Amino acid sequence: MVRLENIDKRYDGGAEVLRGVTVALDPGGFYFLTGVSGAGKTTLLELISLAERPTRGTVTLFDTDTAAADRATRAALRRRIGIVFQDFRLVEHLSVRDNVALPLRIAGASEREVRDNVPELLGWLGLGDKGDLRPATLSGGEKQRVAIARAIVRRPDLLLADEPTGNVDDEIAMLLVRVFERINRLGTTVLIATHDIGFTRQFAHERFHLDQGILASANDAEDG
Amino acid sequence: MIGTWISRSRYKLPFGRDASARLLPWIIALMVYLSALGGVGLILLADTLRGWDQSLASAMTLQVPAETSAARMETTLATLRQTAGVVSVNELTADETARLVQPWLGPSVSIASLPLPHLIDIRVDPDATIDFVALRKHLAAIAPGARLDENRSALDRLQHFGVQIQGLIGGGMAVVAVLLVLTVVLTARTGLAIHRPMVEILHLLGAPDRYIAQQFQTHALWLGLRGGIIGALAAAATVVAVVQSAAAASLPLPVASAGLADWRPWGLLVAAALAAGLVAMVTARATIARQLARMP
Repeated sequence: MVRLENIDKRYDGGAEVLRGVTVALDPGGFYFLTGVSGAGKTTLLELISLAERPTRGTVTLFDTDTAAADRATRAALRRRIGIVFQDFRLVEHLSVRDNVALPLRIAGASEREVRDNVPELLGWLGLGDKGDLRPATLSGGEKQRVAIARAIVRRPDLLLADEPTGNVDDEIAMLLVRVFERINRLGTTVLIATHDIGFTRQFAHERFHLDQGILASANDAEDG
Repeated sequence: MIGTWISRSRYKLPFGRDASARLLPWIIALMVYLSALGGVGLILLADTLRGWDQSLASAMTLQVPAETSAARMETTLATLRQTAGVVSVNELTADETARLVQPWLGPSVSIASLPLPHLIDIRVDPDATIDFVALRKHLAAIAPGARLDENRSALDRLQHFGVQIQGLIGGGMAVVAVLLVLTVVLTARTGLAIHRPMVEILHLLGAPDRYIAQQFQTHALWLGLRGGIIGALAAAATVVAVVQSAAAASLPLPVASAGLADWRPWGLLVAAALAAGLVAMVTARATIARQLARMP
C-alpha cells in the first residue's frame, strides 16, 4: 500500500527534518505515528500525501514509484488519499456542504452523487444541520468533523490525519478515533499522527515513533 | 468522455470576493472601447481616402481666360479629347459657371457683368498615366493663361497623411492590446495569490492541473467577455451617435452615406468583444499553468 525507503528530507536551507526513514503500511491497517512537536510527523504525512518530495529515498504509493510518476498520475494517486489537516484547511467561502463535496467534484462525480453522499455523511458526523453554514461560523470541533467528512467522502484507500485529537478533550478524541476505526473497518488504511503518546496506548493499533526525524519503534518511545 | 468533462466543468469555484477581478471587466471595457473606436476610425479613414481617390483622381478642371477666342477654345477642347487617358471633356455653360460662383459672391453681384473664365470639366481614367507638365505646356501654347487644376498631387499628399493617421491609430490599438494582456496577466497572478490557499487545497485533494486551470480560465473568459461586451456596446452607442450627427449635418463621411446598414463596424465590435474574452482566457490559463507547474 505505502512504502517509504531510506527517506531523507531537508527543506531549502534548513536542517534535515527526516533521516533514513523506512516504513511500510499494509492495506487495511490502522497505525499511529507519534512524536513530539517538530519530530517530523507532518513532513512524513506530506511526503505520503505527495505534498512534498523527499530529498533522498523512495516513496511508493499503491505500487507506483511516485518519483517516476507524471503530474496526472500524482494527482490520481492523491485522489485515493483522504487527508485531515491539522489546521483543517477548509475553504472559507464555501459552505460546509460544498467543502465536503470538493473531492467528489474534483473526481468528476455528478451532482446527484453529491446529493446522495454528502448530507448522509454530514448526518453521520452530527453535522446534518450545518450544511449551509460557512466554516467561520463553526466551533473547532465542528470544523474538525467537516475536515474528516471531506477526507472520507470518497472512501479513500488511505486516510491520513494530522493531530486530529490535538485540540479536543479526551472524550471527543476517543469518539474521533472510534470514527476512524469505523472507516478502517470499511477497508481504508488509517495513519494518525499525534504528539499524545499516552493517548495512543489505549488502543491496540500498531505505532511508529519519530524522534528528531528518525523513526524508532514504539517500545523505544515508551522506554524513553 | 464529454459527459465527464461537462460534469467536471459544471461546478465553478466562487471568485466573487476577488476585488481585482471585479475591476477587470471595467478595465477591459475601456480598452475594448478605445480599440473598437480605433478600428471603426480605421474603416472610416480607409473609406474616406478611397472615396477621395475615386472622385478626385478622375476629375480635372481647365480654366481658360474669358477673352480667349472661340477658335482657340475649339482647339483646346479638341486637344483635350485627343489626349490619351481623357475619358470626357465638357465645357460648362455660362449659367453653370454662374451657379458655381454665385454662393461665393452673393445675390447682390451681377455675375453677367464679370469676366468669368471658361471652365472645362475633364474626366480622366484614374489608372492612366498622363504627362501633366507636357499637357499644361501644350494648352498654354494654344490658349495663353489657361490653367489646369489636377488633383493628383494634392491627393497624394492627402493619401500620405491618411496613411500616417492610420499608422498612428493602428499603433495605438497595438499598445491597447498589449496593455490588455498585461492587465489580465497581473489580474490572474493577483487572483492566484488571493486564491492560493484554495488552489493548494484543490491540488492536495488530487485536482489535476487542468481542473484548476479550467476554473481560472473560465472565470477569466467570463470577465473578459463581460468587459468586452460593455466596451463594445459603449463603442456602438458612440458610432450610432457619430453616424446620426454626420447624417444630420450632411457631412461627407462614408459611414454617414452607408448609414447603420454597413456591417463592418458592427462586425468589428463583436470581434473586439470576443477577442477580449479569448485573450483573457488564454492569458489566465498560461499564467495559472506556470504557477501550478511549481507545485510538487
